[in-house]
Amino acid sequence: MENVKNLDEPSISKIKIKHAPRNTKHGMNNIKTYGERVILLLIAVVQVYPLIWLIMFSLKSNQEIFGKDPLALPQNLLWGNYARALFDGNIGRYFINSIIVTVASVIITSLLAAMASYAIARMKWKLSGTMLIVFLLGLMIPMHSTLLPLFIFLKKTQFYNTYAALILPYIGFSLPMAIFVLVGFFGTLPRELEESACLDGANIYQIFARIMLPLIKPAIATISIFTYLSCWNELMFATTFVSKQEYKTLTVGIMGMVGQYATRWGELGAGLVIATLPTVLIYISMSKQVQKSFTTGALKG
Amino acid sequence: MDKVFSDKKAIFLFVFPAFLVFFMIIIVPIFFSAYYSTLDWNGIGEPTFIGIKNYIDLFVNNTDGFTMAIKNSFLVAFFSVFVQVPLALILAIVISKGIKGEGFFRTVYFIPVIISTTVIGQLWMKVYQPKYGMLNKLLDILNLDFLQRNWLATPETALGSAFFVIIWQYIGYHMLLLYSGIKAIPTTIYEAAEVDGASNFQKAMRITIPLIAPMIKVCVTFALIGSLKTFDLIYVLTKGGPIHSTEVPTTLMFSSIFLQNKYGYGSSMAIFIIVECLIFTVFIQKFFKAENITY
Amino acid sequence: MKKISSKLLAFAVSGILALSSVGCGGTPKAPEEPAAKAAEASSDNAAKEEAPAATPTEEKVKLNVWHLWTTDADANAKSFMKVLEQYKAEHPNVEIEIDATENEAYKTKIKTAMAANEGPDVFFSWGAGFAQPFVDAGQILPIEEYLTPEQKANLLPSQTANLTYNDKLYGLPFVSWVGILYCNKEMFEQNNIKVPDTYEELLAAVEGFNAKGIVPFSVGAKDGWPLMFFQNVLALRTAGAEGSNAALEKKVPFKQPEFVQSAQMLTDLVKAKAFDEASLAFTYDEAKVAFLNGEVPMFYIGSWFAGEVQDDKISLVKDKVVAKNFPSLAGTKGNKDEFLGGAIDCFMVNNNTKHKEAAAEFAAYVSEHMAKESFLLGAGLPAWKVDTTGETIDPLVQQMVDLANGSTGFVLAWDTKLSGEAAEKHKTLVQEVFAGTKTAEQFADEMDALK
Repeated sequence: MENVKNLDEPSISKIKIKHAPRNTKHGMNNIKTYGERVILLLIAVVQVYPLIWLIMFSLKSNQEIFGKDPLALPQNLLWGNYARALFDGNIGRYFINSIIVTVASVIITSLLAAMASYAIARMKWKLSGTMLIVFLLGLMIPMHSTLLPLFIFLKKTQFYNTYAALILPYIGFSLPMAIFVLVGFFGTLPRELEESACLDGANIYQIFARIMLPLIKPAIATISIFTYLSCWNELMFATTFVSKQEYKTLTVGIMGMVGQYATRWGELGAGLVIATLPTVLIYISMSKQVQKSFTTGALKG
Repeated sequence: MDKVFSDKKAIFLFVFPAFLVFFMIIIVPIFFSAYYSTLDWNGIGEPTFIGIKNYIDLFVNNTDGFTMAIKNSFLVAFFSVFVQVPLALILAIVISKGIKGEGFFRTVYFIPVIISTTVIGQLWMKVYQPKYGMLNKLLDILNLDFLQRNWLATPETALGSAFFVIIWQYIGYHMLLLYSGIKAIPTTIYEAAEVDGASNFQKAMRITIPLIAPMIKVCVTFALIGSLKTFDLIYVLTKGGPIHSTEVPTTLMFSSIFLQNKYGYGSSMAIFIIVECLIFTVFIQKFFKAENITY
Repeated sequence: MKKISSKLLAFAVSGILALSSVGCGGTPKAPEEPAAKAAEASSDNAAKEEAPAATPTEEKVKLNVWHLWTTDADANAKSFMKVLEQYKAEHPNVEIEIDATENEAYKTKIKTAMAANEGPDVFFSWGAGFAQPFVDAGQILPIEEYLTPEQKANLLPSQTANLTYNDKLYGLPFVSWVGILYCNKEMFEQNNIKVPDTYEELLAAVEGFNAKGIVPFSVGAKDGWPLMFFQNVLALRTAGAEGSNAALEKKVPFKQPEFVQSAQMLTDLVKAKAFDEASLAFTYDEAKVAFLNGEVPMFYIGSWFAGEVQDDKISLVKDKVVAKNFPSLAGTKGNKDEFLGGAIDCFMVNNNTKHKEAAAEFAAYVSEHMAKESFLLGAGLPAWKVDTTGETIDPLVQQMVDLANGSTGFVLAWDTKLSGEAAEKHKTLVQEVFAGTKTAEQFADEMDALK
């Protein structure tokens, strides 16, 4: 309790200063802050629960997972699930492949999307609106319907069974989202910076690289997270476009723990924890990056 | 200055690389789907050209309850746009105003998005489990036994139960987008408003929301398109069942193409989904253009 | 700008043309196909300097093999790995490139690859309805002529019916399954209930367990197929194997009293509370754990389940279970010794493979040897003559062997007998009967309306 009070002190004092003329309402504000905090914390518990549940799941046996009390704590902690998930298959190799495919997709998507959205959002040409709609088409196409055409394309171009067999489709499917977010974000930026740079004699490439790129860092971080998530968790393409052990990704490896007639679910859970952990860590560090760019960027004030 | 910002060569260099990848991965398959949609084809053997018969089957003959699936996806879309996005907006505004633990809340609220759909599906199947599930147990404790249901097992409740999960999982997604939009607003604007004695609510309504309109547009578009082609969670939670009550266009499409060997028919569903999304997107773009605000 | 857009347009058109020439794959006759194949072949084997096949048996051969055993939780996965090692040791000239894909994803993957006419050399498949489109498109190698005389003699003729299309054998089975009523003896004894041999006894058992507050049957109705088994086996009892097969092959209609009765009996079982009323929310995995945990006394499923029952790491009912055929029904066309089941899992060889002989030999070798290994692991009953002298056979598996040896007829699970669309619709229809939204009459009518 003591801690909570301490935590809240600064925000209370802030309110005091800000609303100095309305001191009578101070008590109510205090209650409101507490109420708000309780609600926020409750939501936080709900949101974090899946992660906790997944970890419990990964330490259970099938009996406990599907038995009478599926949400209870595990009776015995079956660390063996982790040992099997880690050492029975090729998880290490798959993990590295996932990293290669995902990192390449994220970087290329961010760069291509930043360039295209800049041209669409900030430059003046007749077809910019049309171009945005064309890119948006990519959001609308159901992935499953592209499976066969893409399979044929990748086979004919000899990309099948290479990293590119996944990277190319991932970029293609991530671009629309990235472009749309970035165009939206560019729309919130003031014009003055570009204009003054232009008056100073900078060319368009310099304006893009030196002025705009640093400004859109928070948005780039945001779309990187989304691109990362869609590539890291993708299963259908990863299964279909790669049939060589050397190039398989982590999701495929983990789904491999599902058997034709029998599955050891705890082991699958352990695999999923192994796959989710980097995501959580990356998200937290990216999130800090986002925060940092908000506070140090040219936008503040 | 106009010359710099309308430099054709620069525009081409900026747009072409993205367009090239996009063209091969997205546009070409769309043409293929459009072509397949005119065929009676099992995916393997000789196709027969049948014109628009697949579309007639979809809408006029309505053989697989496709119109019902569309209605379901519209319901998801409605709840996404009018419940999910507003909730995300409230959360984004609340945590972005500089409360203690801002980073903590932002991170935690996003967690359901990073967890794979398989896990989320498994978890909620356990929550909805009729006998031992958390929801029915909770209702029991609260003496609300009469509200207990076989949530995912009865057609009447399955749809709502599945929707709830979809709405819940992606709140964090929209929250993060809106949050990054809010954070891009120069703080000077708020300081000016505070000097004028504006309340938090007034600041949100008069400054934040108008200024992040482009980002709200992004969210609404994502929410809408995402709902119209929602697949993963429905597939994990109910597989479109019980008895097709939670079927959406994409689950029907998947089953047509990969389970029922009706490649042409499934492709016509894909084309419908694309066209439907396109119409809504153009509509949203127009709607937001009407109230575009700059500063 | 005009120039740019026309360039883009030209690019777009050329892209579409390039792809559309192979777009509607699946026709091996497409003119560019051989050229593309040759190009791939040369790049594949560039390093090996492969000489034209003069002596096919000594040639260095590389085979791509696809299957779906990704985890050794499956008994077949263990036996396949063992047989594969054996094969590799005996065939040093053959390089095997394995790709294992999880069951659900496998179906999507193999169909996509076959649609693009780019299937692997040898692959796991299902007979009857699943492989029908492949066979119709001429993509599967008729395999019989590649078998040695010994192999032909060892392959049990009763096990190839579902892999024979137009009187030609297209796939090689390894084990078959039979539908088994697994009964938890201990629960039956504790509650003084008789393990059912006849349908009357089954109904009595349902009533008896309900009286004690125990759900009699566990069924993963959400997945469709486990529930479908009940209607299928009831139809087997009412219409007999011959009658069921005739209807499934469209020789006679489903709108007959026997099939209406099969659906009606399922409805009656539901009314008698044979199943948990929330069964439509349960997957196969959830349903089977209820049985393995000893919470539910009866489970009707394939013989492949025996391995799990007898695995004390996952089962609390090891050695407490007795295997029965589904109870007999008096006064109908069915015979008590007929079974739901058959051989459906198989290996097939791609008709486009560069190494037909090696691929066929591999398929035959693996199928024959897996028959024994999988059988010993309790994954099913061998589809080949196997010598098991000196091997220990699990008592539960032995019970099933004894049951199956006395069998007089088989009907495959209907969803594997029917193909694609009809199979999916059939499963839904059974769910609808279960939920009470379709009557038995409607069930029969709509079965006849299927393609």
